[in-house]
Amino acid sequence: MVERGKIYIHAAAALAPQGATRAAECRPLTSDPDTDLRALTKHVLGQGLRQASHFVELAAIGARLCLDRLGRAPAPDMALYLGTGLGDVRKTASMFRQVLPPGSGMAAPFDFINATANIAAFYVARLAGVSARNLTLTQGAFSFECALRLALDDLRADAVPAALVGGVDENCFPRSVYLSRWLLRDDEIMGEGSAWLYLSAQPAGAVAELLWVRQLAKGQQSPAQWARTVSEALVKPADETLTLVGGGGLAPQEQAALARQLPRARWCTYMEFCGSFPTAAAFGVANWLEQASPGLWVHINRDADGATMLIGWRIAGI
Amino acid sequence: MGHVSIRGYGIVSAYGIGTAPLVAGLRAGRAALAPLVESPIPALRGLNVSALPTGLFASDQHGAIATVMAAVDEALRRAGASAPLDDCALICGGTNTFAFAEHDYLRLQREPSGLRWHVHDAGFLTTQLAHALGVRGPVLTISTACSSSANALLVARDLVLRRRSPRALVVGIESLSAMTLSGFQSLMMLDPRGCRPFDAARAGLQLGEGAAALLLEPTGAGARVLGGANLCDIHHVTSANPDGSGMARCMRAALADAGVSKRDITAIKSHGSASRENDAAEAAAMRTVFDTPPPFTSLKGYLGHTLGACGVVETAALLATLEAGFVPATVGFSAVDPALGCAPIARSLPGDTGNYLLNFFGFGGNYASLVIAHG
Repeated sequence: MVERGKIYIHAAAALAPQGATRAAECRPLTSDPDTDLRALTKHVLGQGLRQASHFVELAAIGARLCLDRLGRAPAPDMALYLGTGLGDVRKTASMFRQVLPPGSGMAAPFDFINATANIAAFYVARLAGVSARNLTLTQGAFSFECALRLALDDLRADAVPAALVGGVDENCFPRSVYLSRWLLRDDEIMGEGSAWLYLSAQPAGAVAELLWVRQLAKGQQSPAQWARTVSEALVKPADETLTLVGGGGLAPQEQAALARQLPRARWCTYMEFCGSFPTAAAFGVANWLEQASPGLWVHINRDADGATMLIGWRIAGI
Repeated sequence: MGHVSIRGYGIVSAYGIGTAPLVAGLRAGRAALAPLVESPIPALRGLNVSALPTGLFASDQHGAIATVMAAVDEALRRAGASAPLDDCALICGGTNTFAFAEHDYLRLQREPSGLRWHVHDAGFLTTQLAHALGVRGPVLTISTACSSSANALLVARDLVLRRRSPRALVVGIESLSAMTLSGFQSLMMLDPRGCRPFDAARAGLQLGEGAAALLLEPTGAGARVLGGANLCDIHHVTSANPDGSGMARCMRAALADAGVSKRDITAIKSHGSASRENDAAEAAAMRTVFDTPPPFTSLKGYLGHTLGACGVVETAALLATLEAGFVPATVGFSAVDPALGCAPIARSLPGDTGNYLLNFFGFGGNYASLVIAHG
């Protein structure tokens, strides 16, 4: 029975950089992963994607894994929200080399098409056979969170019956090209991933309830003050287990301050499995949904501007 | 679903800053079209485009921000509002990433400084604008090709209607870049002499640049966004289903969302890109939805195709002309294509009070249609 305002996660999947499709298969990365996805594309989709880029393959594989785990056909009017921080980095870089001096001045047609940000969402929709609302959106390190918040709003307003929400970003070589798009510390792995959630208002068969996506106001705060602000935003029953999933934008001193503020909270990490990229939050949420234990789960992320974004979900008796 | 008011609009186009030069140009049926003078790619020079007047703004990111700010200033002035917009959302359509990156790349080639080339992420401009305007509400960039800023308008409408933000500023910007010009040229989609929407001899797009802004509030004077729809035509990655079924579905969904009967549409601002296939599909779609389509026009012969920005640019341009009392004729159109079964208006019409349907159709089958009430 549908309860007004409640939205549920029915399936989740995270494709890791080395092609791992299950959380249990993920191994910590030790170097920048350079994965050819063509074989996995054929394996997962049952067909190769001619002329499609690595970015499109990433998106298509992750989305299909999520829909396969749903165990039934998606709602015919399922809306699609794809968050990406960088889009098709490889094809864009390739376009620059082709077009700008000393290149020939002519773009390769399929590179130009693939460099259009929403082409991956087109392929995902086409492969799923859905032709409803289809949005590719971006907002730096919060690109996935913004996509998820929009989907949640649309579902709560009953504007769409179901939503497939993903966070997709790819790396590229040489590393210097990637660094022109997304700054990394020398010790950070240049990651990539494609992670998706299927959401609807139907409780039957759900794996979790998606509670909220909240942005906390920016402000000049010490780590301790910031941790207090975050903990005040996490209202929960006293006896409920709280698990915090730390996003890529969280500094060690912030994590330490939050651990002091919320000493009974359990901590989970995931960046070691996917590396750094703008929509790693999607990977974190989907990856930990696969290994779920009951309680309140909160993903915490920050951007370079000092803003904080929280995603909350609950696994319990649903 | 409910409607919101467009309290203010502003535009910077190939006609210059503000709605006044634009309205004068459209009233005169004069295309803002000229050969491209500056480009790092010699083969692109001489191509007819709708570029901003030379010297209006710098071609770097500061220039892009200044361009948008000029449009925003006009929109706020018209609405009687001013920055800081701390109770406002900011939703941008289009990213300008290619233009920024290209500018920086060429600068570093000219003046090697030891600085690393940095390609800004697609939300960069939006974030900069949010800072400049003191926006504290939701900030987001929609990137769905040529429907980007139309979809941004729909997202902003929802934020206001759902009380997630008391008001919302919707922005679209597109700067001409060698990357996009070369890309469309490689697909053989450009008409070097300028576009001819729905014309029997139409031969492709005319690219343009510009920026526009719309300020949405729940109530108040101004045109009203009655409804709209966004969907994906999964027929083909770059071309519409020739039968127009995807476009027809989008228009019907927009009418349903607006609660407006097809008989109550006064005129249509078509996407009208002058691509042979897409104009044919749009004509088929209009005939499917309306049997006999109401008067329709295309603005791309005037302004060029401003790609991700066209949703907001063309909405602002249409509102400006309606307020000035006319629906602009379809510049570039002269010969009826019998295969289309319909033709756009060749002379301007009175800008009557009524409901207007606006179409925006992009690559990746991403379509958006809006229903806007004027008067």
